[in-house]
Amino acid sequence: MNASKAIEKTLVASPERKLEADADLAIVRQVQGGDVAAFDRLIGKYRERVFGIIYNLTSNREDAADLAQDAFIKAFQSIHRFQGQSSFFTWLYRIAINATLSHLRKNRLRSFFSLESIAETDTASRELLDALTDTTGAARDAFVRELQEKLNEAMQKLSINHRTVVTLFEIDGLSHQEIADVMDCSVGTVRSRLHYAKQLLQAELEPYLRS
Amino acid sequence: MSNGSRKIMLEDLLRLKRAERPPPEFWGQFDAQMRAKQLAAIVVRRPWWDGLSRVFSRSHRVILPAGAVAALGLVWVGVHRLSPSAPPAVPVLVQPALGASVATAPALPIMTVVAQVDARPAKVEEGGDRLETEVVIPASQPSSPSHLTKVPDAAQVASLYGSPFAEGMAATLADFRALDADLAKRSAFGAERDMETVSGRQPMSEPLTRVDPAQERLQRLLAPALPAYTYSNAARTFTSERQRDRASDDRMYESMDRPSSGGMSLEFRF
Repeated sequence: MNASKAIEKTLVASPERKLEADADLAIVRQVQGGDVAAFDRLIGKYRERVFGIIYNLTSNREDAADLAQDAFIKAFQSIHRFQGQSSFFTWLYRIAINATLSHLRKNRLRSFFSLESIAETDTASRELLDALTDTTGAARDAFVRELQEKLNEAMQKLSINHRTVVTLFEIDGLSHQEIADVMDCSVGTVRSRLHYAKQLLQAELEPYLRS
Repeated sequence: MSNGSRKIMLEDLLRLKRAERPPPEFWGQFDAQMRAKQLAAIVVRRPWWDGLSRVFSRSHRVILPAGAVAALGLVWVGVHRLSPSAPPAVPVLVQPALGASVATAPALPIMTVVAQVDARPAKVEEGGDRLETEVVIPASQPSSPSHLTKVPDAAQVASLYGSPFAEGMAATLADFRALDADLAKRSAFGAERDMETVSGRQPMSEPLTRVDPAQERLQRLLAPALPAYTYSNAARTFTSERQRDRASDDRMYESMDRPSSGGMSLEFRF
């Protein structure tokens, strides 16, 4: 079921991503032609997604901000080498992921987590929290915080590669192929890592799951 | 209120993280930091030698005058360093001493030749009638009369070298000595001069200043009319002329013997 869902998601997402990739390529050509200010549009378009994926990997806001900025700077400095063989989105993500993985490998022992507030303006999130607790006010906030900490701890127990696959697929919504492009591995490896990571997370978050 | 009938999957929990967002003010700070890093990335780091080139380009107006001043300073220092207190050694050609072996000596350093100047000639040119001896005498060395007093006798020169030129030279020397015994004694190669004391010399003065033109003209006009007076006066004139000659010779030798005479060189060629 999960595999078919992922394939369907990838197929459905493909035309949108294709249009998005074309629009990004046009902006990249402008930047390559000397319009440096056009790069700000790419920053504004992808900053939250880049920050989000890095934050979900590091679970630290400051580190995520620095790494996201560094990823944009690296992309800007090497924009002339971008040939358009992949989408700018994939290329930028690859830069960000590589920078984050390098950072995580250098700071394996550091485990300082920062928690961002969950925006309950998101309907799906609000419904999920309503399903998890019937409390309100401070008690609800405490439950949400406890759930976030459990999620972070479970994610940090994964290896870097497994965590990356789960983050890119479940949180950021990338397809298997895009993840394979970003992580420079095969689609089968991505699926294998995703399956293994979910098993570990399911075991860790068992108290919060209802089947 | 809890909805206990709803299934909660792992994907639902992970999707909850998607809703985690930083506060709005965070993005303002993020953009500011991003702008600063972007500007820093645009600015190209200049190589280390670029600073040097900029320093030189700023000081190019000063370089030329400074270089000129430095060159002048170097020239001034060089002149003052290289100009000696005593004049440099100059080559002097003198007659070889009698009794010295006439042989071709190897090229010796100047000071070596000076040390051996009394013992032997430094260089004798061979292959001809001409005899030329070159001896270097440093001007700073006190003048020794030995190189002047060791003048060979005419007969000795003639018998030693036996060439027609040497014979002619000997004859000239003999005539010179026979001309005036006293003059020959005191002039050029006079040995008595070695014994002469400074106090015995006449004070240095210009010989021409002793001549009174008016008195000389008067004597010349009165000479035919006053023979007796002329005789005594002529004898006195002859005496004064000899005295002038002596003074002139003394002055010449005084300048030759003066140690710091400014590097005068005497060259005797026969």
